[in-house]
Amino acid sequence: MRLLKPLLPALISIILIVLDARFSTLDNLKRNSTTLLSPIYFVVDLPGQMMNWVSDKGSDTEQLISENEQLTNELFELKAKLQIYNNLALENQKISRLIDASYTLPANAVKLARIKSIAQSRLKRQMVINKGSNDNILASQIVLGANGVVGQIIQSTPFYATVQLTTDPTQHIPVKNVRNGARGITKGLAANKSGMKVEFMPSDADVKLGDIFVTSGIGQSYPAGYPVGEVVEVSTPHDAAFLLIRLQPLEDMNELEFVLVVSEPL
Amino acid sequence: MIRQRPQILLFKLTLISALLSAVSLPDIVQSAAPFWILIFFTYWLIYAETKAVYTFALLLGLLLDLLHGNVFGQNALALIASTVFILNVKKSFYVSNLSTQQVYVFVASLIYLLITICVHWITQGFDFSYLIFLAPLTGAILWPIVHFLLAKLKR
Repeated sequence: MRLLKPLLPALISIILIVLDARFSTLDNLKRNSTTLLSPIYFVVDLPGQMMNWVSDKGSDTEQLISENEQLTNELFELKAKLQIYNNLALENQKISRLIDASYTLPANAVKLARIKSIAQSRLKRQMVINKGSNDNILASQIVLGANGVVGQIIQSTPFYATVQLTTDPTQHIPVKNVRNGARGITKGLAANKSGMKVEFMPSDADVKLGDIFVTSGIGQSYPAGYPVGEVVEVSTPHDAAFLLIRLQPLEDMNELEFVLVVSEPL
Repeated sequence: MIRQRPQILLFKLTLISALLSAVSLPDIVQSAAPFWILIFFTYWLIYAETKAVYTFALLLGLLLDLLHGNVFGQNALALIASTVFILNVKKSFYVSNLSTQQVYVFVASLIYLLITICVHWITQGFDFSYLIFLAPLTGAILWPIVHFLLAKLKR
């Protein structure tokens, strides 16, 4: 009898797990419930906000702060745009026109957001930003740092949004090698901190240490041309059809303070 | 036993553990951090006389799943399983010294960890930071401090 009591709650949990993991039927319920929990996020993030506030007050004039913020934002946006132009320059340097690549360089509207000091699941690679659906931040939008792709929005509440990082094992990004256009798909490696691997690259593919992989734009889940990572390990396992490639993200996720959310095409 | 109403204490404990588990820490520390909600809930289970503990475990687990962006129900299932163990050793837990209590907390945390990892494995694959295996140990180590602080809170 004692063991029967937990049976019903356990059964409810299992049903919820199946519904959430396999059918995504609870997305709305989760989003609305998470919105109600926003005050907890606010309280947790309060010390960080206080630090920012004190830091801002330490400056000489309000104008200086305002100008500084504006210039930081502009610099950040320009750096992100520069990623595309750098890639374009590299593309021009090689004879990539022979490669059958549906290469596009979309101009996108971006929104600056600050990383909040709110912990997420230790089994996942996620972070929370201070912009949400009130700022037109929606699920599936892309998040960029100054040096490359950071991740993708997976949940948006009015005041906060959750970003799933490129290093999360469930994140798959179509990429290509900048040097020769060889394509593959990245997958995060949670067991190996901040790492990714590139899957489905044939064992005879030309990949060298130091090669840069950028988003290929295939599948249209990520816009093309944004740097993802640098090759730090290449090996061919015995009798394997594919190369074992490990990437180091170009963006240091631990040092991020601001990110850009690619919100909509202009 | 607890002098204030069990539900009020549970509310306080939930709030503190939710805040603690949402504080951002360096990756290594975060992976090895104790399962705060389990530890606080264990304290409540041991020192409060109340019914519907499994319903509370379910609700708390779901709350944590929402806060941390886990698969909905993952922490709830883990908390329910750990609650079964804690209730089975409740009498012994209550009269035991701190070292024995630490062993119980370690086992409860281990059950919690295994269920969490199983669900993660089934839904998202067996890929996570192995530092998480330190969580039951840190939970057991920190139990005396938590016990001392919560004893102040319940008065």
